[in-house]
Order: sequence, then structure tokens, then C-alpha cells
Amino acid sequence: MLNFEGIDENLKFIVMETQTQVGAILDLLRMPSTSGYEKIVPRDDYIDNLKNIIESNCVAKLTAEKNLSKEDINEIRAIQIIGNNLERIADYCVNISRQMGYMDNPEFIHEFDYETVFPKISESISRSYTVLKDRNLAGALTICRVEYELDEWYKVSFDAIMERLKVGQNIQNLITVLFIFRYLERIGDALLNIGEALILAIIGEKIKIHQFQALQETLSRSGFEGTLDELDVHSILGSRSGCIINRLEQRRSNWSQAQESIFKECNLSKIRREKNNLELWAEKYPGLAPKILGYYEEGDKGALLVQFLAGRTLDEVILNAAEEHLHNAFFILKQVLEEVWLATRQDGPIDTDYLKQIRARLPQIHHVHENFSRPMNQGTIKVASSEELLSACAEIESRLLSPFAVLIHGDFNVNNVVYNHELQQIHFVDLYRSRYADYVQDVSVFLISNFRIPIFDEVLRSRLNWIIEKFYEFSSQLALSWQDRTFNARLALALARSFYTSTRYELNKEFAKEMYLRAHFLMEKVAGHHGTGRPWEEFSLPISVLYY
Amino acid sequence: MTHLSQNEKFEYESIQDNVSVRDFIQSLLDGIEHGRIILQSNEDEIIMHPNNLLKFTVKARKKEDQSRLNIKVSWKETKLAAITKPKSLTATA
Repeated sequence: MLNFEGIDENLKFIVMETQTQVGAILDLLRMPSTSGYEKIVPRDDYIDNLKNIIESNCVAKLTAEKNLSKEDINEIRAIQIIGNNLERIADYCVNISRQMGYMDNPEFIHEFDYETVFPKISESISRSYTVLKDRNLAGALTICRVEYELDEWYKVSFDAIMERLKVGQNIQNLITVLFIFRYLERIGDALLNIGEALILAIIGEKIKIHQFQALQETLSRSGFEGTLDELDVHSILGSRSGCIINRLEQRRSNWSQAQESIFKECNLSKIRREKNNLELWAEKYPGLAPKILGYYEEGDKGALLVQFLAGRTLDEVILNAAEEHLHNAFFILKQVLEEVWLATRQDGPIDTDYLKQIRARLPQIHHVHENFSRPMNQGTIKVASSEELLSACAEIESRLLSPFAVLIHGDFNVNNVVYNHELQQIHFVDLYRSRYADYVQDVSVFLISNFRIPIFDEVLRSRLNWIIEKFYEFSSQLALSWQDRTFNARLALALARSFYTSTRYELNKEFAKEMYLRAHFLMEKVAGHHGTGRPWEEFSLPISVLYY
Repeated sequence: MTHLSQNEKFEYESIQDNVSVRDFIQSLLDGIEHGRIILQSNEDEIIMHPNNLLKFTVKARKKEDQSRLNIKVSWKETKLAAITKPKSLTATA
């Protein structure tokens, strides 16, 4: 299989996430619960997003590369179809979960056989990636055949439901079960499309490329009065936040630059939070965050149109810009942060929840890396298990309060900072997690967002290490001047959190393991210091853990 | 004395009693603690500078006729000098 940068990894992710979604539906059918339902909808947004990324990467590849062979083109098309159909399957899962709400007795469904189809669906989804990779024609045909098997099962189930309907009882439940089974049957249709796409990739028979339906829908709902062909959609930016993000620009020259904007569509609670946070930032530090140009809500979705901030994201500056630009950007960033932290400072003490954040993400981490949890070792060598470390550090954290709160960015990734060299300005974007909290959260996320960039070229890595070193220096000096005595200890826990949870987005096993091991090293250091009984201001953070 | 710039290697194989093995490991431990280990034979010399971020692996295996204990210590040679100043990108051009 070709190694299409970015596509391959996202394909793996969408396969994994869709499989999880199907598993979640089975769990929900077996034992209906509100919490089960609530997990399904956000995951669907993430899957939609992955589909869009795969789709745009595929199209970019097809349009940008002139020397693609026919085989390459077929494979890219196949990947795109697979992504689309996995997303469709995920949508059917959401529909099924909604149908469950119409049953007055959710256990009624147990009177029918739904268990037998799930292993088939799940296996077909999980095999779609390996079949493509191994060019396994038999595997592709097996996936196609599942559609036939699902049809057969649907026919039997349909007849059974009809028989029960004639009795005239449980009408609503019976019809709901029928609808649910109909969606399962349609999952079979999507699997057939996937199977056919795999065959296309393997034996090279041409098919039609699907249209950008999702994108067109998004655009038509954007509130722009112009028609589609007046817009240049510069990029379909994906983020793991589960939002769909497009940059829109009017082609007509009489439109001013101010009308360039970012359109963001998301689930309602997320987009409302972002809107509120943007308003809060506009009040506290005008000009730092993008201006809101439009906002609307519809159903359970919300959309936000915000000012497009010209410039480059800070990761681009670190990796691509001239030294002078990097120095300027960093100088301004430090100034802005110090000002924001001072201006928004609220005296505490306040709690932090770094260990809780790790725990909340453990299922996702283990979903990607099964073995990223350490058992206890006893005997000549004694090593605490992950579980013991997490508990011990949570206990320590509950007593390590932050002396004050500031308005934090909340997702202070290096790529959520925009630098405009011409105007010598820094901007913050993606502020939906902004809140009053410990500034160490932002410090840690910023440091590790640089660390985890999977670039190993010596020169580029030295630039990442440089920004890490300087940023740590800056923040620890501020902490010192503010007499924040537990800064290093809190930072160690926050870094453990950032390292550990970052592994769920990293499929490079070696690099992910490095971060997982570093998280444990930091937790051991904190637990070890606690054992000595010495004051926390004497805790020395092993700085080398920040460099790769 | 051979001095390879890219991949320096040193290998030592012997039969020892437990006390001599302890002594050998002890001197390695001292080297790890002080950040300097020198391994030298007639032809090769290798100087290592273990830092304070070491990957440490212990593997044990017991078979009927033979047992094995593997202890591995490895580390990345992060060039600290390189991070005092961001490297200019022209170096890669």
C-alpha cells in the first residue's frame, strides 16, 4: 500500500473509531443508558471530521500530484469511499441510538436476535484497513458478502416482527425495533460500498468519485449570501475537537480582507462555550482572540463565523521561519502571556485536576495502545503500577494547590497561537476550553505540544527543543517572582498528564511509548519526593524530560 | 586505536564468578552516576556520557538448561549545545 502522508493514519483512526461506535451501539442495545447515548454523539462528530480530513487529503493528492499512476489514483479513490462509508455507518449508529428513545420498554428488543449481526459488522470494519494494505481480494469479497448476510437476517427479522404486529400489541416497540433493524441492514449496504471500493483498489476497476456533499452542505448553511462558485475554500482544516472548520474567502476583488473568515460548525454546547469565551477574551484582552462575525444555532448544532486572523501558526514559525521571526514571535508571546496572567489573576488557592484528566482519557489511550498501563512488579525489583502511581499522585495533587487562577487558553497548543509578523501581533485561537484555572495547565500543554510534533530531523528538533527550553525558563522565572512555591511539582503532574494523554493521537509506537514512559517517570519523581517529606518548593523537575 | 565517528562499538565477553560480575557492574554503576563510562580494549575505546534520562529495561528468561538476565540502559544523545540558540534553517538547505 502506498504511504500517503496523513491519509493512512486518519484511515486507521476512522476505522478504529467507527468500530468503537458499533461496539457502543451493541452495548446500548444490551443495556440502555443515558451515559452510553451521550458518548455516541460526540464520537460521531469526530468521525465526521476524520472523514472530511481523509476526503480533502485524497482530493488534494489527486489534484496536486501530476505523476500519479492509475493504481495510485484508484487507491486514493478507494480510501475516500471507505472513509465516506465508515462515516455513514457511524451516522446509522447515531440514528439507532436515537430510536432507542422511542421504546417505552428498551428491553423489548432483547426478544429479537440482533447479537449475531454485530460481530460480522465489526469484523468487516476492522478488516477494511488490512484488506487494503495487503491487497487481499478474498478479504474484500468477504466484506461484500456481509451485505448479503445482513439482508438475509433482515428478512427473517422483518417477517418475525410482522407476525408479532398482527397480534396487535406492543405496536410502538415493534415498529421501533423494525427501524433499528432497518439501519443495521443499511450498514450492510455501506459495507458493500466499502467492499467494492477495496476491489477497485485491488483489481483497478474505475468508479465515480463521490461529491463533496458534506462540504457543500456546510457552505450552504454558512450564512454567506454568495453562491458556491464565488467562494474559495482554502482548506478544510481538521482538528480532533470534532469541529468542522473551513476558511472562506470571497473571490471578488471588491470584498475587503475583513470579510475573510473562519466558519466553524460544532455541537451546540461546544460552540456556545467557544462563543462565550470569545466574548470574555474580547472584554479582558481585546484583539487577542478573533472577533465574532456571526453566530447561529440550529437543532443540536451551532455555527460560528469568526474573523480570519492573518499570520502563521506558531508551529509553522518554529519549523519554517527565519530566526528573527521566531525570536520576535516568542518575545511577543511572552509579553502577552505575562500581561494576560497578571491582568486576570484571581487569588486562590485553587484545585487542579491533572490526574483526573488522565483518568478520563485512559479508555481512549488504551483503545489506541492496549498495553499502555504498567502492572505492579514485586520481588527483587519493586515498581509501582500505573494504577498505584495515578492514585498516589492524585492524592498528592489534592494538596498541591495553585496559589491563584488566571484566565487560561485551555488548549494552549503551539498551533493555536497565530503570529502576524507584519503587525507584530500574537493571537489565540480555538478558545472553547478557556476558563479560570491554574496557568500551569497552559504551560504544560504548550511544552508538550512542541515535544510531540513527530519531527526527528536534527535541525528542526533543535528548534523545538529551543522553544521548549525558553518557554520553561520564562514560566519558571515568572513562578519564582510570584512566589509560586509548588510550580515545579504541579508542572510535573501536568506534564505527566500531557505526555500520557498525547499518546492517544500518536500511532508511531516508539514515540508514543517514549511519552508514556516519560509520564510514568514524572509521576514516580513526584511520588518519590512526597516520600521524603521535604517541602514541595525543593522539588526539582527533571528538565531533560522535556527534550527529545 | 580505532575511533569510529558514527557507530562506535565495544564488546566484551567472558566467564566470571559472581563476585567479579558484581565488581564489573559496580564500576558501570559508578560510571552511570558520574555520567562517564570508558570502555577500552587494545583496539577500541568508547567513552559514554549517560545523562539523567535513561531508558532502563530488565528482561529475564528462564529455560530448563539456561537462564538469562538482560539489563539494558540506553539514552538519547540530545545535543544540549544545539538548544542554546535555534539553529538556522539554512543549514539544511
